[in-house]
Amino acid sequence: MVQERRILYEHLDVPNINTFDVFRQHEGYTRFEKTIAEYQPEDIAKMVMDSGLKGRGGAGFSTGLKWSFVPRDIEPRYLCCNADESEPGTFSNRYVLEKNPHLLIEGILICCYAMGIETTYVYIRGEFTLGKKMLDAAIKEAYEQGYLGENVRDTGLNINIYTHPGAGAYICGEETGLIESLEGKRGQPRNKPPFPAVEGVFMKPTVVQNVETLCNLPFIVGNGVDWYTKMGPTYADMRNDPPTPDPNTGTKLYCISGDVNEPGVYELDLGLTCSELIEVAGGLRGEEVKAVIPGGSSAPILTHYELDTRLDFTSLTLAKSMLGSGGIIVMNETRNIVDCLLNIMKFYAHESCGQCTPCRWGTPWVRDIVQRIADGEGRQTTITRPKFGITESGRWGDTGETEEVYEDLDLLENVANNIANVDTMTWNTICVFGIAVSWPAVSYLRKFRPEFEAAIREGKLVTLPVAEATVPPEENYAYQQRIIPKEFADL
Amino acid sequence: MAFIKLNDLEIEVEDGTNIVEAARQHGIEVPHYCYHPGLSRPANCRMCLIDLYLRSSEMPERQLATGCTTTVRSAPPERKLDGKYDVIVRTDSPRVIKAREDILEFLLVHHPLDCAVCDQAGECDLQDFSYRHGHDKSRYLEVKNVPPKKDLGPDILLYSTRCIVCTRCIRFCDEVSGSGELGLINRGSHDEIDIPRSHEGVPIQLLDNKLAGNVVDICPVGALISKDFLFKSRPWFMKKQNSICSGCSVGCNITVEYKEDGLYRIKPRFHEDINQHWMCDDGRLGYHYVNSDDRLQLPLKRVDGELATTQWSDALSLITERISEVEAEEIVVIGSAQGTNEDNYVLQQFAHDVLKTTQLGLFGQQPGEEHKFPQFTIEADKNPNTAGARTVLGSANGNTVLEGDALWEKVADAKVVYLISGVPERSLESTEKEALEKVNFLIVQDILHSEVAELADVVLPGTTFAEKDGTFTNSTGWVQRIRKTIDPPGEAQADWEITQQLAKQLGGEIDYHFAGEIAIAISENVQGYDDATHQNIGDAGVKLD
Repeated sequence: MVQERRILYEHLDVPNINTFDVFRQHEGYTRFEKTIAEYQPEDIAKMVMDSGLKGRGGAGFSTGLKWSFVPRDIEPRYLCCNADESEPGTFSNRYVLEKNPHLLIEGILICCYAMGIETTYVYIRGEFTLGKKMLDAAIKEAYEQGYLGENVRDTGLNINIYTHPGAGAYICGEETGLIESLEGKRGQPRNKPPFPAVEGVFMKPTVVQNVETLCNLPFIVGNGVDWYTKMGPTYADMRNDPPTPDPNTGTKLYCISGDVNEPGVYELDLGLTCSELIEVAGGLRGEEVKAVIPGGSSAPILTHYELDTRLDFTSLTLAKSMLGSGGIIVMNETRNIVDCLLNIMKFYAHESCGQCTPCRWGTPWVRDIVQRIADGEGRQTTITRPKFGITESGRWGDTGETEEVYEDLDLLENVANNIANVDTMTWNTICVFGIAVSWPAVSYLRKFRPEFEAAIREGKLVTLPVAEATVPPEENYAYQQRIIPKEFADL
Repeated sequence: MAFIKLNDLEIEVEDGTNIVEAARQHGIEVPHYCYHPGLSRPANCRMCLIDLYLRSSEMPERQLATGCTTTVRSAPPERKLDGKYDVIVRTDSPRVIKAREDILEFLLVHHPLDCAVCDQAGECDLQDFSYRHGHDKSRYLEVKNVPPKKDLGPDILLYSTRCIVCTRCIRFCDEVSGSGELGLINRGSHDEIDIPRSHEGVPIQLLDNKLAGNVVDICPVGALISKDFLFKSRPWFMKKQNSICSGCSVGCNITVEYKEDGLYRIKPRFHEDINQHWMCDDGRLGYHYVNSDDRLQLPLKRVDGELATTQWSDALSLITERISEVEAEEIVVIGSAQGTNEDNYVLQQFAHDVLKTTQLGLFGQQPGEEHKFPQFTIEADKNPNTAGARTVLGSANGNTVLEGDALWEKVADAKVVYLISGVPERSLESTEKEALEKVNFLIVQDILHSEVAELADVVLPGTTFAEKDGTFTNSTGWVQRIRKTIDPPGEAQADWEITQQLAKQLGGEIDYHFAGEIAIAISENVQGYDDATHQNIGDAGVKLD
């Protein structure tokens, strides 16, 4: 039985940990003091790079690498803490903000010291009223104690933190959408490049980090890189010669919801399998697992064939899914996948910012098609299209055969792929919202096609038994990476 | 300069040029909606997607790039592709063609396809690009959004159903006019362009700035519509002629669109140093006097205190008679700042060679207000040719040209005054009126039954900017061409032709056959105008030193 390893959440349940005094009794701010006493800013940046810390917000981009892109000669630079936590199924940052806000402040201080940043904006999701209240109170205390403000702890650094509530838009969790919103504009993502590291808040170099990422910093500094890298697997990237290490180090705050007996946030080492995680969360509620969403609603779904998939950044990428924000939603045999997709598509159609064409008019279209199928109004007509599958060469491609598919299912797959193509991983949109829409749409459809077909055939939602509802891995491109030899090996 | 490979062409382009422009320069169309060369580039329509080769000449970048935001620069030698190209671009690869089709399909899902009743049909980018790059049928079965039609301001209507949310209009109001009336309301597929409104939907701020009409021009579809032009004509029925706006001394380059029966629309034409892509609504909508029923069509003469129509021969002999009765110094000749350089040149020649008077004046529209915008200025001088008329009138004798009070003092003492007006809608001030009333014999050459024409003893019907050829000199010294579009009403004639006929009646030897001939004379005789022949001026204009 896998045990939780509480690091970020270690003192979460300590009464009054949100106050400075109690936080101080639990090693609070000692890591920051160690930082300024023992390390130069460059040392911290190097430690973060060596630790292999990957951004916990969703993309899993190496934090150290991101920091290295920030030009040091342009003043001012900003730190922007993303506390917008808007991905459905994700609720881990919220507890940090509400219960242990000083930990976040300490993380911010370390980052500011490392990057020579004096101004930090914490963009908090508008619905987190309690979280914002707690963080504001903690910031006030930190100012009083001299950890914020002018000349922090005699380092000569002036560090200020401003909190900014969002207005409830999903897209403001995207870093450039967040920056636009922070600047007082419509929350619409910017074109990249330039990336925020070069031109971010007010067109100045900006480090945008998730709450969880920043909260990792005190522990990396406090306990050392060696301690940190022992947690979680490090893979070897075989695409490079010699193979380069691909670290998935540290712990992750997994938010487990859905059909488990004890849903909640669990802090676990990266690299556990799906089944292990369900066990940790009190086991499945119901007979059998039908599907697991591994990284928030935008992540491609995993089937019961894939429960041995390790939940870390690299493994999930290889499984053609993503860890994202770690919002894991478990579904049992009673769940109808068409209905689930409809729910998710309603959300995305509502949350599209409407800036660029494919997403603005593609997402409601996808929703409407799914709605039609779910209402039992899917068209009975079929079309013949080339059948794709594993070709003789062992790779995915046109098999030369044809297949009959319901016209609506072909349309659904096609429209979603026109927003962002999940096979080639190219998107015609400005930001990755496009792929966040087509990923679930296409993966649900491909992996649970029988259930979609049943809904059209029967003219109503039909929940099939798990074995019947799921397309086996051999037959579908959605699983392709599991068939073709892995490019990554255990180090 | 950057050396790039564009499809199969090897071309050189200036550093910093974007792909859309580079392709356009070489006759390759990269379809686009949100990109406008005069505005910022949000790259939100996603129509100008291209394949970009940055690291290898074999494999393009994984993501398609937007042509509008991709600018080319010369790369250091080690980063050149195939040893010579700074970048390789393909606008015709299969996946680019597919991406365009896909985007067009999305653009059309909520579009009402009401081309049959849409003003833009025929000059619509959505129509054109759909025809050239799109699917032939729609797969959309769901219900279309039907956002409301909106009245945005005095001249602007918004047919929201046709809008593709490219935000050109919003950016125009933010960046060029700086007035920021437009914005987006709602979100996602419910995005709508709108002006600020109260909760009850009552407009708080109308789109009524003086540059508002430009949003209609830059709208790539038929969403923003000018009330002035609504349902008047199909674009393909109108002829077009390049000309210059006569509304003020900026001298905006325009295209006059007209049919046999008059002018229909005026649109700005790009000139880098003068008006860029824009023009003001005063100029845009100020053409109606040309089509007016009130236009002078025949000469008038005063009979028993009333102006009555007469024949040209009659009017000219009457004038000849009265002029020969007075001394040269009792005659004042007044040119018009609304007239062309050619009109004024013939007039000064007439005054100098035939009448032998040195009393030359300049008449024009009263100064108005100057309006400054972040990227545009409307001048206070409401005449298109003040600078040119002043120079040309004073050229022969080196005389100063009389203006303002000095002019009206002279007029009050004169026996015969030959005044060319051509100013639409000008009221006379009391000093002006008093002075003109004192004149024994007042000849007015005008286009409308104006206040000044009412005082005249003889009125000769002249022409507007739309009915004659010639040149205007703007306030910054650009000499630019106006061109004849429609025939003058009735028996009206170009101003210089009338002057020339008068001169002939009085025994003068002025004999030009067309305006270009006069321009050659100007280039020979007027200082600074050496290059200002019609041939040289062309569509680009000539800047005086």
